[in-house]
Amino acid sequence: MEYAITANNLVKKYGDFTAVRGVSFKVKKGEIFAFLGPNGAGKTTTIHMLVTLLKPTSGNATVAGYDIIKESHEVRKKIGIVFQDPSLDRELTAYENMYIHGKIYGLTGDKLKKRIMEMLRFVELEEFKDRQVKFFSGGMQRRLEIARALIHEPEILFLDEPTIGLDPQTRAHIWEYIKRMKEEHEMTIFLTTHYMDEAEQLADRIAIIDHGKIIAEGTSEELKKLVGNDVIYIRIANGKEGIKCLKADFIRGCKVLPDGRVRLEVMNAAEALPKLFELAQQNDIKILEVTYHRPTLNDVFLYLTGRELREESAGRFDMARIAVKRRYMK
Amino acid sequence: MKAFTTMAYRQIKRFFRAKSRVIGMFVNPLIWLIFFGLGWSKVFNFPMASALFGGVDYLSFLAPGITAMTIFNASFIAGISVIWDKQFGFLKEILVAPASRKEAITGRMVGDSTMAVIQGLINLLLTFTIANSLKFSGVLPMILIGFLLAIAFSSFGVSLALRMTSMEGFQMIMSFLMLPLMFLSGAFYPVETMPTWMQYLAYINPLTYAVDAARHVLINAPATTATASMPGMPTVSLTRFSLPTDIGVLGILALVFLVVAMISFERATIE
Repeated sequence: MEYAITANNLVKKYGDFTAVRGVSFKVKKGEIFAFLGPNGAGKTTTIHMLVTLLKPTSGNATVAGYDIIKESHEVRKKIGIVFQDPSLDRELTAYENMYIHGKIYGLTGDKLKKRIMEMLRFVELEEFKDRQVKFFSGGMQRRLEIARALIHEPEILFLDEPTIGLDPQTRAHIWEYIKRMKEEHEMTIFLTTHYMDEAEQLADRIAIIDHGKIIAEGTSEELKKLVGNDVIYIRIANGKEGIKCLKADFIRGCKVLPDGRVRLEVMNAAEALPKLFELAQQNDIKILEVTYHRPTLNDVFLYLTGRELREESAGRFDMARIAVKRRYMK
Repeated sequence: MKAFTTMAYRQIKRFFRAKSRVIGMFVNPLIWLIFFGLGWSKVFNFPMASALFGGVDYLSFLAPGITAMTIFNASFIAGISVIWDKQFGFLKEILVAPASRKEAITGRMVGDSTMAVIQGLINLLLTFTIANSLKFSGVLPMILIGFLLAIAFSSFGVSLALRMTSMEGFQMIMSFLMLPLMFLSGAFYPVETMPTWMQYLAYINPLTYAVDAARHVLINAPATTATASMPGMPTVSLTRFSLPTDIGVLGILALVFLVVAMISFERATIE
């Protein structure tokens, strides 16, 4: 098996603070690999090391077969990147941004022009090509950045939080582009995200990262199997001290949540529920409310860390920050 | 060469996009020349005054200085676009590109310098209409002098900007440096009549050599050196150094600052 990316115990320290604490993983050629984790987990730092913008404190990695430290120039030729924060020249038009990128990556003449128009068409920005980027919406800027990253036909595409701060419709659009890149061009894509649905929709394999460490890795099905087949949430009427975990053969895992609910992992909720009521009756526990569902990646994160991905991600604050950045000077 | 030409192209393109800069390019130096120049030229309107300014009228004395100053201002301030690029993220796009960073940064400074020299030239051509001792044959050599000056200060500005994160900080340093450098350059009054301690400061000011060189090439030196006939009035020569000295100093400075900027950009990472 040939690998597009191999990371070997990557560490990045800033003074006393360790942003990435020994991350190792392999990305196969042609797959979409996602780093899923809350903000501050070390996703962006890892990407910055892989695209040769930051030197790892220790450890190493290869990208497209080249060492990111010793052969950074070769790595740069093979990759395209869309950064988390905007990186366009706002004073220039969409076409000019594309043109400058293409030139710097060594394309010229008719070939460059053809590529630019092809990519602008791909992200449906053709008709806006002569408009200055500062008049673009956040979603349009994002699409332009994706088009720009593709001009030089990279082998590996890095996407750092590709849909952060965008509306649902634009997000779906961008997912569509990402899927098409993989299908039509067999491109290897490494993306980071704190959106579970994004990782689930797009990624062939997912690494869950928290506090600078990978805590689980696999396909989304494999990850969900860590939790069990079904998850049941119950709310109990017995007051604070009465809330405790239930024990039985059919309960594979149990946890009291901060909001007072109890979460149970079972193989099959439909079979487990009657047994659960029976058990509750025997123990004099009054159940007020029951919900159950197939496990999500959030359940996996909760199972592994005891915290919810959603709440940890500070999503709203971050979206506001990016939105402000994108609209600055508008 | 791809990174060099692309970045030069980008800087020039950006310049013309900013309407305020294009307008400022015509207006700012004119303010100096008209209000400052015409104002003082009436003060120095008495018969022997030219002895104070190397034998020429005050406006002709001032004009080359204003041209040099325009180029200096324009090239120094260009460094701020590096901070702009940091904030809007465009710098990352260049840092991650498989192109020579030395070329990219040199292209950037050559683009900025070209615009600075063009601003100086526009100003100079306007000057010809009001100052009467200037010669057109000096325009071409002035372009060379202006370019050396512009490369020196755009490189200095860029090196400084690469170490800074806020525009306010850069602007503060710039306003802190700009006025003293201008006043100590001999653009407004001769270096020769400055207090001795001030003269020493003028000698270590790169702008002094640019102003001096500009006077060498642009002013039609009077056939006979004016002599003072008023008691106690000094006779001041038009230039302080020889033209090769001026150009030599500017050339060395441009080279040194250029190398510093290249090394700074080579080492640049993102925080």
